[in-house]
Amino acid sequence: MSKIRYFVQQSWLLIVSSFFFGLLIAATNYALSAKIEWNKTEKFNLLTSALLPGAKPELATQVEIDSIGGKKEKVNIYKAVTKTGGCIGWSFNATGPGFQDEIELVVAVDKNFRKIAGFNVLASNETPGFGDHIKDDYYQDQFKSVPVDVLKLVKTGDPKKIDSEIVAITGATVSSEAVVKIINNSLLQVKKQMQEKGLISNDK
Amino acid sequence: MTNKSDTKAGLYKETLIAGLWRENPVLRLVLGMCPTLAVTAAVKPALTMGLSVVFVLVCSNIVVSLMRNLLKPHLRILMFTLTIATFVTIADLFLKAYLPRMSETLGPYVPLIIVNCIIICRAEACASKNTLSVSIIDAVGMGAGFTLVLCVLASVRELLSTGKVFEMQLMPDAFVPWAAMSMPVGAFLTLGLMLGLVNLITKRTR
Repeated sequence: MSKIRYFVQQSWLLIVSSFFFGLLIAATNYALSAKIEWNKTEKFNLLTSALLPGAKPELATQVEIDSIGGKKEKVNIYKAVTKTGGCIGWSFNATGPGFQDEIELVVAVDKNFRKIAGFNVLASNETPGFGDHIKDDYYQDQFKSVPVDVLKLVKTGDPKKIDSEIVAITGATVSSEAVVKIINNSLLQVKKQMQEKGLISNDK
Repeated sequence: MTNKSDTKAGLYKETLIAGLWRENPVLRLVLGMCPTLAVTAAVKPALTMGLSVVFVLVCSNIVVSLMRNLLKPHLRILMFTLTIATFVTIADLFLKAYLPRMSETLGPYVPLIIVNCIIICRAEACASKNTLSVSIIDAVGMGAGFTLVLCVLASVRELLSTGKVFEMQLMPDAFVPWAAMSMPVGAFLTLGLMLGLVNLITKRTR
């Protein structure tokens, strides 16, 4: 009994404060989570519109793919719809490990899922001046209009040549490789599942 | 009565100025080096980091000062960390909600304010031993001193690496940007020169 009394005497402030601070964080999170989610969606829409000009993404379906870490991951597939109602492509999130932290990408493809329309970075913490060049046009442009297939990272080559060979960023091979790996991992899995669902035609 | 209020006003003034110059957290105490070096490539992120630290510093000093008589000596660091972590989480959520782009630019450095030595140092050295008013003034002085140094450092680096300050073009078109200034080497060089300059001024004015 005296031990319990001693414990309470010593730690009551810590217990009460933990409860109070927990409540404070929960209340702040409750008040701001809707706005944070809205910001994320807004950024996704903005990036998709930049990759597929003139279109607005609309949630079409959800598929489950194997992540790079081997776990099952749910991916939302968005249909890029123009003002007249026509579909000009598809976009989805693709995530995987980068050099320092997880890289979250938005990948866009054409309406038949035959060519990559491009990718953009939704969230990353790559090294400033090196790895964060994955956000630059000269690296991202290499992915535009490339046929949907397994991409390969090369250290030397012509970045302007549009093919499945992606030229790595000097001084940031790990980040360049991470992007290629993330896109490779999700692209064919998403395509296969969309074909199974009848959202796109079967190539064969 | 007048004498007492004069002493109080003198103490407040002394506390405020200490953070700005005599005990400046970056230039004199050499604390909080991680954000000082990491987020000073441009003025905007530096200012946001500085203001986030001011918010956390003021809030944690208020809480620590209010419960200073209840603190058990062996549990005090735990209480400080708990208090700081709460306000840093709130600041992080606030930035994610209202300044999402800035939150992305600052990346992990906002959550890392939890382990910023300046805040725990002020909780231990000032707030846990002083009244609420002194603790608040100390937090404002230290926070302002930290923000000011970060902004000066960032101005120099942004100017030399892009020719701009606060995204406004200041250098002539002929200016060739020094890319190295936006990289870690630029942060170390500028901070080193600033510390040297402050030491020189202190030596001369002594």
